[in-house]
Amino acid sequence: MSHQTSSQRSALFAIAIGLAITPLSQADETCNSPYMKRLTTQEDFMYIWTLGVSGVGDEQDKLVTVDTNPASKSYGKVIHSLSVGGRNEAHHSGYSDDRRTLWAGGLDTSNIFVFDVASDPAKPTLKTTITDFVAKTGGIVGPHSFYALPGRMLITGLSNNQDHGGRTGMAEYTNDGEYITTHWMPTDDNLQGATKTGQFADGYGYDIRALPRLNVMVSSSFTGWNNYMMDLGKMMADGEAMKRFGNTVTLWDLHTRKPLKVFDVPGAPLEVRCAWGETHDYCFTTTALTSKIWLIHRDGNGEWQAKEVADIGDPAKIPLPVDISIAADDSRLWVNTWNDGMTRLYDITDPHAPKEIYSKHIGEQVNMVSQSWDGKRVYFTSSLLGNWDKKQGPAGDLQYFKAYHWDGKELKEAFAVDFVAEKLGLAHQMTLNARSMYAGRQSPVPPQAGAAGGGDTLAASLGR
Amino acid sequence: MVAIRWRPVSAAEPLQARPEGGRRHVGGRLLSVCLLLAAALAGPARAHEAHHASPAAAAAPGYLALPYAPPQPGTYALPPIRAAADGSFTDDGGQSRSLHALYADRITVLSFIYTHCDDANGCPLASFVLSQAAADIAKDPALAATVRFVSLSFDPARDTPAALARHAKPFRKPGVDWIFGTATDTDALDALLGAYGQDVERDGAGGSFSHVLRVYLIDGQARIRNEYTTSFLHASMLAADIRTLAMAAAPAAVPVAAGTPGAVPGPGDDKTGYDEATYVTRSRALTARAAAPAALRLALEQPPPGLPRNALNGPLPSAAQIALGRRLFFDRRLSHNGTVACASCHVPDQGFTNNELMTPIGIEGRTVKRNAPSLFNVGLLPTLFHDARESRLEQQVWAPLLAANEMGNPSIGYVLDKIAALPEYIPLFAAAFPAAPTPTMETLGIALAAYERALLSGDSAFDRWREGRDDGAMSAAAQRGFSLFTGKAGCSGCHLVGDTEAMFTDHELHNTGIGFQRSMATPKPLEVTVAPGARLRVEPSTIAASSETPPNDLGRYEVTLDPADRWRYRTPGLRNVALTAPYMHDGSLPTLDAVIAHYNGGGHPNEGQDPRVRPLQLGASERADLRAFLESLTGSNVATLVRDAYAAPIGDHRND
Repeated sequence: MSHQTSSQRSALFAIAIGLAITPLSQADETCNSPYMKRLTTQEDFMYIWTLGVSGVGDEQDKLVTVDTNPASKSYGKVIHSLSVGGRNEAHHSGYSDDRRTLWAGGLDTSNIFVFDVASDPAKPTLKTTITDFVAKTGGIVGPHSFYALPGRMLITGLSNNQDHGGRTGMAEYTNDGEYITTHWMPTDDNLQGATKTGQFADGYGYDIRALPRLNVMVSSSFTGWNNYMMDLGKMMADGEAMKRFGNTVTLWDLHTRKPLKVFDVPGAPLEVRCAWGETHDYCFTTTALTSKIWLIHRDGNGEWQAKEVADIGDPAKIPLPVDISIAADDSRLWVNTWNDGMTRLYDITDPHAPKEIYSKHIGEQVNMVSQSWDGKRVYFTSSLLGNWDKKQGPAGDLQYFKAYHWDGKELKEAFAVDFVAEKLGLAHQMTLNARSMYAGRQSPVPPQAGAAGGGDTLAASLGR
Repeated sequence: MVAIRWRPVSAAEPLQARPEGGRRHVGGRLLSVCLLLAAALAGPARAHEAHHASPAAAAAPGYLALPYAPPQPGTYALPPIRAAADGSFTDDGGQSRSLHALYADRITVLSFIYTHCDDANGCPLASFVLSQAAADIAKDPALAATVRFVSLSFDPARDTPAALARHAKPFRKPGVDWIFGTATDTDALDALLGAYGQDVERDGAGGSFSHVLRVYLIDGQARIRNEYTTSFLHASMLAADIRTLAMAAAPAAVPVAAGTPGAVPGPGDDKTGYDEATYVTRSRALTARAAAPAALRLALEQPPPGLPRNALNGPLPSAAQIALGRRLFFDRRLSHNGTVACASCHVPDQGFTNNELMTPIGIEGRTVKRNAPSLFNVGLLPTLFHDARESRLEQQVWAPLLAANEMGNPSIGYVLDKIAALPEYIPLFAAAFPAAPTPTMETLGIALAAYERALLSGDSAFDRWREGRDDGAMSAAAQRGFSLFTGKAGCSGCHLVGDTEAMFTDHELHNTGIGFQRSMATPKPLEVTVAPGARLRVEPSTIAASSETPPNDLGRYEVTLDPADRWRYRTPGLRNVALTAPYMHDGSLPTLDAVIAHYNGGGHPNEGQDPRVRPLQLGASERADLRAFLESLTGSNVATLVRDAYAAPIGDHRND
């Protein structure tokens, strides 16, 4: 190696660059943090963070594991269920960057359940429960998104312990579950250096995603504990409550965690999904109440902008867009509308002009959508919020987990699990996992003598 | 040449390299080659070349020029993440070292590597980035003298001190303090790797390791201040972080508006004008609570002007009882699942009611059917609840504690045992009830009632004007409004005004038509606000699909079962009424204007409606005058009471 020729050196350089070839770009699987260890092949399991409901089974929140590998004997069946105690308004969940733990939050109690999914991915165990999130963070209520950053978890809040309204913040925790710090959402009296680009700086929060390549994060805004815990019909009839929805998207400096811009995005922008492509400087969000797709993008001058780019269904009917899922190649966006139980597929090849190209009725109500990295398998669950969910519907179509195959033209149902018939509860957030994510793990030991440099064709090709 | 590309990992392809965050092992010894390469890439210019050399490829960002401006050192915070573990190792000179000794009074950048590593975006990346950051820092010798780089190998069998010394050579530049080393034995190594979350897997076939790259920034007190992985590791950012840590002065904090003393703190999330497209937010930071404890008991001894003397419907509480009650009032742990405090529905800066909801919700979002009454002057009321079913505050406080749809506690004993087990309450109960310091149903009631009794508020503009202390205190419009209130509009028929004091209530119950309307009318389509200035029409059937059956409400009848009491509710006092929207027993009227319009229209005539509720024929200017009068009933001490409330800690669930 110390006797390389210059041509050898050039070859090595080329290989070095070859080694570094991309997939720094990265998909539910497509909604995961790019900092996270990613699953790009057949998923073995789906973990479904499930709300306990009075009168169904053991009535408490649980993490349900369904076998999703067609090659398995138990394909399509519930293979494990872990009850955690109490009804916490189970909502979203997310892996740590090393995918060893799954963090699942309760919007009501603000408890956070940290599951060990590495020791036996088929049977998650409860590793620890964080019960002092509100006290530690200085008053954030309703831990929502769990977004992996290197060695830590960024947790967005929905509310606060002062008035249970929508003003809130975000907190950082170590992967070990230790509190690090709090970042409050910018408010009019304390924009923290951010620019209020329009009329609103409400201080509300919901979801967050990062574009590490551009050193930015994008956060959205929903509503506080009063509203997300309230009976939906009662809320819609309450004119005061309806004024307490978020109308903002905030752009953040990823490294310094400082807010840069507050955009007017009226009508409760919910999930944020950022494009994966190396030149795709944009993220999407959809507004729940006003039924629009919004693009948060960097324009030709390098300035970040927010722009309404499409209607979702007939906004006058309040279809209530909820979860969205972006394809790994940034060409398609699944958009679920909860009220009519439809999923809609948009062509987002031109992100400034999304076009609906397909739709299908999934159930009486539909909330979450998750797809495999290759987009060939698409999964749906029903529950939005415990007290917002519909109370009546056809058997199996009210509270469910459904798996579909997507062939590029249509969704074909593979299997479905009725969460009421199975006495489980209300099916909410899904996370995919596979045994292969943990293959080969063993204690670090010194290499065996003679193993060093063990014959690989690459080294041979280098003429060593 | 063998084509080597990163590919997604699968069970069938266990040896393929993995993307960011994944484990990488390509097998063989290409790594050391890459390492040399990385070391040879001297500076950002070359790194940029590499970028152009392969436009389709994306090396780890650390090899490339930063595509955005690095942060200005010192303008941001790097909060301590956790303690950096100690550990011993042997350095490349064969000397035994301790990490904590190395960390003392230095900024340390710690990486874990092995010299046979063959993943360009793994160890070589770390060493490359560290070398670039070191070169940058070395330009400032004073700074460089406070910074140290430490790279530890997890391959002690091959990375002997001698091997590491050879490896270290290209990285040892003038002004750069860089120590290479490895643990002396497997146990020490495992402890170190475990302590730093280095999840290492040995690839049995190739003698290489699979690990998630992590680099740590550690301060002089051995605390981890930042943690970097492949897509997060860049020399410019690392150097900015090092400088930020080095800057003695704390980052310039953005000043938080503290609230103007004297001004009445309004709701933190003001939605006035939300129905218009021109609405702008006026949100206040959650941290901007200008707390100032007040001597609340003084007001009990000397009630504010305008309030009745000696009308306290109960004993005069002690200061210790008030302090205890205030603490309890703001404690969310008083509800069954720790989510709801008294103050969750009686919010201090929302008039001790809840401006954001027509009717509140209890634990698990359960529906409460009546508006949360304001607690201003509640201690002066002879009856409590909208249906007047309770007589004493000391008793009343147990109703929400035990109601399934409010705080939801399973029993009295459960509440008392829970509080008795919270250490912070032991001295407070001992001070408040020296003779019987163990919480009881009675003492808990006395304490909570004590605080609520102290929420006296008078001395409004009206009082100052009426007593002749300040003729200009109340505007001409408000004075005209007062004449209407006691005259043409007939309000004072129920909202009594005495000669020297006024509570603006007869403490009786009346049918105003609101309750009748709610129970008997057919639901109409709703105009629902979906965004500022944007409303959509929603059919009742749409709402019904996602709703529980709305609870009915028959008012006083529910207590007496006397048909004559259907839809009768207690007359509320009007002091601070401008702060306590929304109005009526069901919160159905959002503004004072809407309330005046309701009465001006004669209510919703029904068999039991009070005959004094009849069309009033008030013109627009009269209605405005009436509103001006109602707005002059705000007490002079509201800000004091709110700031005092802010001084109380909000009790939240803790692990202890």
